[in-house]
Amino acid sequence: MIKLTIDDREVEVEPGTTILEAAASVGIEIPHYCYHPDIGSDGNCRMCLTEVNGNTRKLGISCMLPCGDGMDVKTTSPAVKKAQKGVLEFLLINHPLDCTICDQAGECPLQDYTYRFGPGDSRFDEDKAKKPKKVAFSDNVMYDGERCILCTRCTRFFEEVRDNRPIGVENMGGKSQITLGPNGPIEDPYQMNIIDICPVGALTSRDFRFKQRVWFMDFAESVCPGCSRGCNITAGAYQGELLRFVPRRNPQVNQSWMCDDGRLSYKQYNLDDRVRGARVAGEVVTPGDAADKLLELVGDGSSVAVLASTRDTCEELAAVRHFAETVGITQLWHGSRTWEGDDFLKLDDATPNTAGAVALGFSAVPDELPSLRGLIVVGEVDVPSALLAEVDFVAMQAAVAGDLGAAATVLVPGRTPVEKRGTWINHAGLRQQVRPGLDPGPDVPHDWAFWVAAAGGTLGGFPELTAQADAWSAAGAPAPVAAATDGETAS
Amino acid sequence: MTLKHSKVLSARFDKENSQALAGYREDGGYETFLSVIKQKQPDEVIDIVKRSGLHGRGGAGFSTGTKWSFVPKQTDKPIYLCVNGDESEPGTFKDRQVLEFDPHQLLEGVGITCFAVRAKVCYVYLRVEFAKGIRAVQHAIDEAYAAGLFGQDIDGSGFSLDVHLHTGAGAYICGEETSLLNSIEGARPYPRNKPPFPAVEGLWGCPTVINNVETIANVPHILKHGAEWHAGLGHPEDPGSRLWCVSGHVAKPGWFELETGYPLQELIDGPCGGIRGGKQLKAIIPGGSSSKVLLPDEVRKVTMDTPGIRALGSSLGSAGIIVLDEDTDMVDACLNLMKFYAHESCGQCTPCREGTPWIVKILQRFMDGEGKASDLDLLLDLAENIEGRTVCALADGAMWPLTSIVIKFRHEFEAKIAANQPVGVA
Repeated sequence: MIKLTIDDREVEVEPGTTILEAAASVGIEIPHYCYHPDIGSDGNCRMCLTEVNGNTRKLGISCMLPCGDGMDVKTTSPAVKKAQKGVLEFLLINHPLDCTICDQAGECPLQDYTYRFGPGDSRFDEDKAKKPKKVAFSDNVMYDGERCILCTRCTRFFEEVRDNRPIGVENMGGKSQITLGPNGPIEDPYQMNIIDICPVGALTSRDFRFKQRVWFMDFAESVCPGCSRGCNITAGAYQGELLRFVPRRNPQVNQSWMCDDGRLSYKQYNLDDRVRGARVAGEVVTPGDAADKLLELVGDGSSVAVLASTRDTCEELAAVRHFAETVGITQLWHGSRTWEGDDFLKLDDATPNTAGAVALGFSAVPDELPSLRGLIVVGEVDVPSALLAEVDFVAMQAAVAGDLGAAATVLVPGRTPVEKRGTWINHAGLRQQVRPGLDPGPDVPHDWAFWVAAAGGTLGGFPELTAQADAWSAAGAPAPVAAATDGETAS
Repeated sequence: MTLKHSKVLSARFDKENSQALAGYREDGGYETFLSVIKQKQPDEVIDIVKRSGLHGRGGAGFSTGTKWSFVPKQTDKPIYLCVNGDESEPGTFKDRQVLEFDPHQLLEGVGITCFAVRAKVCYVYLRVEFAKGIRAVQHAIDEAYAAGLFGQDIDGSGFSLDVHLHTGAGAYICGEETSLLNSIEGARPYPRNKPPFPAVEGLWGCPTVINNVETIANVPHILKHGAEWHAGLGHPEDPGSRLWCVSGHVAKPGWFELETGYPLQELIDGPCGGIRGGKQLKAIIPGGSSSKVLLPDEVRKVTMDTPGIRALGSSLGSAGIIVLDEDTDMVDACLNLMKFYAHESCGQCTPCREGTPWIVKILQRFMDGEGKASDLDLLLDLAENIEGRTVCALADGAMWPLTSIVIKFRHEFEAKIAANQPVGVA
């Protein structure tokens, strides 16, 4: 172990730890742009300069300088503060300062550091440099050369994370800019990550840009429902409309990344037409009446099966299982969806909680279908037509009714994955917190509430349900299920 | 001390066909190399070069033997030698003479240096504008291979060496040693952050020694005549014979081989024929453009050796002496230099990329009659925010002439401000 002093605090770190990492480990923040925990450091922005052993002539870049035994590091000395002001002044002189129309405003480290570490004034009386302002790097990514501070996080993302080089730096000195390579628009299916890691508004999402100022938006720290990886995300919405998913760092799951398909999958959850209020045979009824009708149809539970979506949370599935056990249904099946995965994050299973469903005792629909009297469909699931051939009734809980819901004897409202609260267990057995990014309103309660009520209300509310889900998944999981974890808030 | 003309590096420059291997060998060329690789141990060679007092001729002036000794003795990786012939410092044209007129002198130095640092491969990196030098060096390499002086098991010694010529594309930054490495690797020539230093992690991540052309050209002479011989040339603390390049307002500009430690004034007044047209001297930038300017009073007392020039706060750099006469507009000269640095800034790190063009814009305003009193302190403060804050020394080298000109010739800037015409008045 190496012992050093940072701002008069003694710090002990492993050999090879950088000063920036050592400082962070004791809660000392050193501002930085080119360093990113998942692509490392380039040493180009000079924002993280620190004073080492009193040397004010040459300051050290804390993002690359390894800690040395007995080092005395100052992160707020007069020389460091002057250098920080100097670097920010340099970064701002040719920056357009068009924060009022820039999508990055409000979540911009250039703004934030300027307020906290900057000079608060400019001595620049000259004309700003002119660079290309609206360069489409692809259908999804737009580049503004004047906003760019050339930290090269974007080029290094492709080189170091994706092993390709669709963009690079062209020209020299003050004329430097990021440019597309000879092969034309970026095709990488993870390209939109460069928008998130861009510390300024140089790279913007063509999907999100100009839609909303971020300070008016509501954010939920949740998990991508796109596949069983369970990339941690922040879902951003404005007045009931979901506007974006962005990845949230979780070194155990997705580092700082997510696939573009998962990112853009938010769109399907802005519903024009959804199930509101319970229905029996197409007539609006109270949830209690719908539950009574369902209990009547289910009877002793024989020859009735439950087919539940693997986008449902563990808590919802626990409520469904509790209901099934209460009424005597023994056939608990799960239905997932697939898409084509890749060799990075995106997995073939396009649902986030197959592992949770398995842990809670739900099994795949058997190849040899038993004769069924009734089928209860919970959530978004593709129902094999053979299952419907002979049934007397279908009951369904869903956000979107579809043909099956329209024909169902009992239809109750359900929530989309972005409206749920609970946990999902990802492909690796990691149980993760899911939080609602949208609130569909009082006429669409949480899915579990209906099943708990229909089972007689004996399970109580959400905390009891979580405990029950814990107990069942701990007993039933094929692989050890980790305790619920959560990613980090973006930095 | 006085001017001591010497003929070490330039001894053969005047010979007919001085580039050819045959003539070089007639003059005893490669005998030192062949005896070294057969009779000496690598560490002996390093020790001799250390004791010779040879310092790098590229600009930084670091002890050559000490630099060599930083290469790890125990390593599984190949060790490389890179010869820096990207000579692009304004006012500097010394390596060019060696490349064009005596390339085998350089290549013999390459052989001895590779033996000393245990390198099996050398890259000679030349700027692409040196068309004649490139042809001469490539021809010399081909001759050396054909004569069995390079290649496998050289002359039965068991020592093997491959030498490659690599050309840059004309960027000043490629002369920065780690940019040079990136350029050889095919990457964008951005300087690397240090540590790690090239001696430990250089070309392709392997231990690498990078030396200037003139430095390497000295090596055969030191091994031939001995450490003590070299240590006795010129100034005892900074010994040797150097090729000095004089440009600017002198009657006879050119290169001169002189031992270190001579009075600068004597070089100007003597071999250079004084200031052109009988004018008065205004200033000298003594070490390539990246050094602090000297006033006539300082020129009169300075001796050209590291201790002598450091006492005046400047540096010998690449020994490119730029002479400016009384008619020189120092603001314009400063603008000219800063345009060079802004143009050649690689753009990697913030202070240099953004700062050098800003400085150009400010200086341009002075030339346009729009300089302001506050600009002078601004220029000095910007220099403080640039020097020592960047990845490499390009920006430091840009700030030295800037700050020294602003400080020493502040009156010329102030005179321009005083002469500014209010807008709208003819």
